[in-house]
Amino acid sequence: MRPQIGFAALALLEQAGCTVEVPAVQTCCGQPAANAGDAGGARRIARQVITAFEGFDYVVAPSGSCAATIKVQYPELFAREPAMHASAMALAGKTHELLSFLWDIRHWQPQGVALAASAAYHDSCSGLRELGIQAQPRRMLGKVDGLELRPLEGSTVCCGFGGTFCVKYPAISNAIADDKARAIEATGAEILLGGDLGCLMNMAGKLHRRGAATRSFHAAEVLAGMADGPAIGETA
Amino acid sequence: MRPNLPPFQERAGAALRDKTLKLAIDRTTGTAERNRAVAVAAWPEFQSARDLGRDIRAHVVNNIDHYLVEFERNAVASGAAVHWAATADEACQIVVEICRKAGAKSVTRSKSMLGEEIGLPHALEAAKIERVETDLAEHIIQLAGDPPSHIVWPALHKTREQVKELFAASHRDPGAMEDVEAMVQAARRELRAKFMAADVGISGANFLVADTGSVCTVTNEGNAELTTTPPRVHIVTAGIEKLVPSTAHAMALLRLLVRSATGAELTQYTTFHTGPKRPGDRDGPDEFHIVLVDNGRTKMLGDGLAEMLRCIRCGACLNHCVVYRHIGGHAYGGTYPGPMGSVLTPSLDGLPASRDLAHACTLNGSCQEVCPVKIPLPTLLRGWRDRSWREGLEPRSVRRALWAWKFVATRPALYRAVSAFAVLGMQLFAKRGWIESMPLAGGWTAHRGLPAPASSTFMQQYQARKRAAK
Amino acid sequence: MSRERILAAARAALGRTAPPDAAAIRAEAATLLAGPDRGRPPRTGTLTERFIERLTHPKVGGTVEQVAMLTDLPRAVRAYLSTNALPARIAVQPEPRLQALDWSGIATHDGVATDEILAVALADCGIAESGSLVFHSAPTSPTLFSFLPLHHIVALDTSKLLEWLEDYATAYTAAGQAQPRNVNIITGASGTTDIEGRLVRGAHGPGFLHVVLFGG
Ligand code: SF4
Repeated sequence: MRPQIGFAALALLEQAGCTVEVPAVQTCCGQPAANAGDAGGARRIARQVITAFEGFDYVVAPSGSCAATIKVQYPELFAREPAMHASAMALAGKTHELLSFLWDIRHWQPQGVALAASAAYHDSCSGLRELGIQAQPRRMLGKVDGLELRPLEGSTVCCGFGGTFCVKYPAISNAIADDKARAIEATGAEILLGGDLGCLMNMAGKLHRRGAATRSFHAAEVLAGMADGPAIGETA
Repeated sequence: MRPNLPPFQERAGAALRDKTLKLAIDRTTGTAERNRAVAVAAWPEFQSARDLGRDIRAHVVNNIDHYLVEFERNAVASGAAVHWAATADEACQIVVEICRKAGAKSVTRSKSMLGEEIGLPHALEAAKIERVETDLAEHIIQLAGDPPSHIVWPALHKTREQVKELFAASHRDPGAMEDVEAMVQAARRELRAKFMAADVGISGANFLVADTGSVCTVTNEGNAELTTTPPRVHIVTAGIEKLVPSTAHAMALLRLLVRSATGAELTQYTTFHTGPKRPGDRDGPDEFHIVLVDNGRTKMLGDGLAEMLRCIRCGACLNHCVVYRHIGGHAYGGTYPGPMGSVLTPSLDGLPASRDLAHACTLNGSCQEVCPVKIPLPTLLRGWRDRSWREGLEPRSVRRALWAWKFVATRPALYRAVSAFAVLGMQLFAKRGWIESMPLAGGWTAHRGLPAPASSTFMQQYQARKRAAK
Repeated sequence: MSRERILAAARAALGRTAPPDAAAIRAEAATLLAGPDRGRPPRTGTLTERFIERLTHPKVGGTVEQVAMLTDLPRAVRAYLSTNALPARIAVQPEPRLQALDWSGIATHDGVATDEILAVALADCGIAESGSLVFHSAPTSPTLFSFLPLHHIVALDTSKLLEWLEDYATAYTAAGQAQPRNVNIITGASGTTDIEGRLVRGAHGPGFLHVVLFGG
């Protein structure tokens, strides 16, 4: 949907001293199947992912919910298959969400990155509660010259995205997103930042529909110095 | 589930359109959320106390057969009559029969979600016994003819303006009711005489203490003791999972329960009831009955829902649930709403009628984060989703869409091609970066703009760059 | 019938092949609470200070005064009556130590009426952690004394203060000890948050709780 997030992740990982490969055989982590209750389908996709990433030291995803699916859901999916469970655990152990990987594992810090803007940061639920990501992005963003982080009331409250939830229960999702958009608007921040594209698209879409001027970026885009172009939903 | 309900989506839709409801929900859950946060912040060890809460409850659930027998022995020794009910109907029959034997014309009741679960209000009505709800919130919803909408604040869906109207229409001496204080006084006047006149008092139990045979109730109003002390007969209805090994264990759990529910350190009235009136006592019931109710609990124990039996009904998961806070309790359709209700209702009322509940959740995990006994509510909800899928209860449209998606997602080359094609297709609907409506995306675009994707995928661009670099 | 059904279902679900080992279960239950202050909130100050701090916290809403001896209670009650402009007609718990006090100037009775304005009682003990008062029902301590009056004045011997809720459990409910019919742990005046979550006092029980600490 937004290739730039992928390229931002690539750039950041390289700055952090990693050699990055993007295996062409990967598709999706299988979250839609797992969340729909289709454990069999989710297992099929999980097997494929486990094989695709076998030879790597780390697997890094620029999304808390994808990383959490691999780290938390995969081992549960194979609870009754010892051999696959071991492989799932091995993958889970080396899989990380991008922002926490940069800070916790690679001890990376932005240097000479600047963005003159005020920003509000939303904590996406999977990253926050399943992976404990909260301080890391704020610390790194705090080192971006000119960037002012404004406190967002209820920053840890769900934005109403929830994967397929938002299309299966659109009215409920909308009501939740509306509250979130109001809170973001109340900060008066120029940009909205987050670590998960799904949530960002949901919030950006709601802000847009409400006529708000807030622009939305993935935090990785800011950290990689790539937030000078169009924001989510903007054209060049 | 309550009978003759419209489908979940309609119930939720109606709730969302009711702006007064949102206001009412926000007033109470917002206060509860803030007060809990203050209480938790004042107790740095709160997280390890949650571990203790989980361990105590898990220990009881794992030894429930032992504790049931121990409790029964000690309760009987204290002079209580212990009854066992496998089903809701059996429990109601036992209660109604005790009332009949006592010649009861009027019973007072102190709030009990188990009583709601087994349909006791209806059973008493059917037996033509006057039922007086004494908890203020239960009194309000009895007047309104509503089911409860929250397990701690059953009348949370009513604003003070609505309560005032109800009292004005039905109290003998409502007074002017210029503020909430005056409304509370109106209810106090209305109910006082009824407490003293009742033949039977019925309460629930927050804990059943195995080593003393005591029943613990907690209230803030003092209505439980006024319900259970004056009448000749006191009946307790309690789920079999309410056991704790000893009073000390109950105390450790009370600390968690009350902070999680209201943010207070302890409820105003915490009472341990042990047997009937003793020789020389000036008050207290002549008969003390305890009805132990299974109603699906042993089935949950064997069905992968043992963790849910740890629940101490604090309501924190409801207060912190974004879905509950928008649709309120009634839309859930069962006795128990919110995250804990979405786990319990399929077990109590059957999955076919309640399959939506497990799906109407963003899996954001706030409920698990606040649960004082660390119940993995999202995992249990996922369990119901899995089961619904396995049992073929998911709608055909969902199955088809997921099948098509899996077909593509398990074929990497096809996945790349379809993604590339899809982003191109989506371009057709985009105007200045946004898609405002598009076939198959109505669920999204009805309420928000859909950011148009770039014209090629990350994979395409990445491979192009790699080729260029060579 | 149902008893056996429920127990059998529970045993089957738990996968029990032998009867539960009562001693092992008891030991495990005890271990859960073992360890210094496991699952206890922080504390500061002396026992009495902590009790007073909790009791008078807005969330609890009690008032307090300290006197030297129990014999000072009637004077405190008289002062309370005049400060609050209440009639000098009160219920005094049929507890010999209270009945023996000099109540001159006040008409007392030892039963509690449905619309009693003020009742005076003696607590069995207090719990500092939560600012709670504990009453054991007995012929000399009817339960309704704590619930019917609008004003509840409670005398408490400071030497009867306990630190934690568990200390009460250990002191009064240890194995073999006879349990009172009712143990009422009272923490502040009656209140409700049932209308819009706002705390309002005097729901069904007393609207005012005043504690007179003596001794110590
Ligand atoms: S599930 Fe947990 S948070 Fe929800 S009511 Fe039960 S104990 Fe409270």
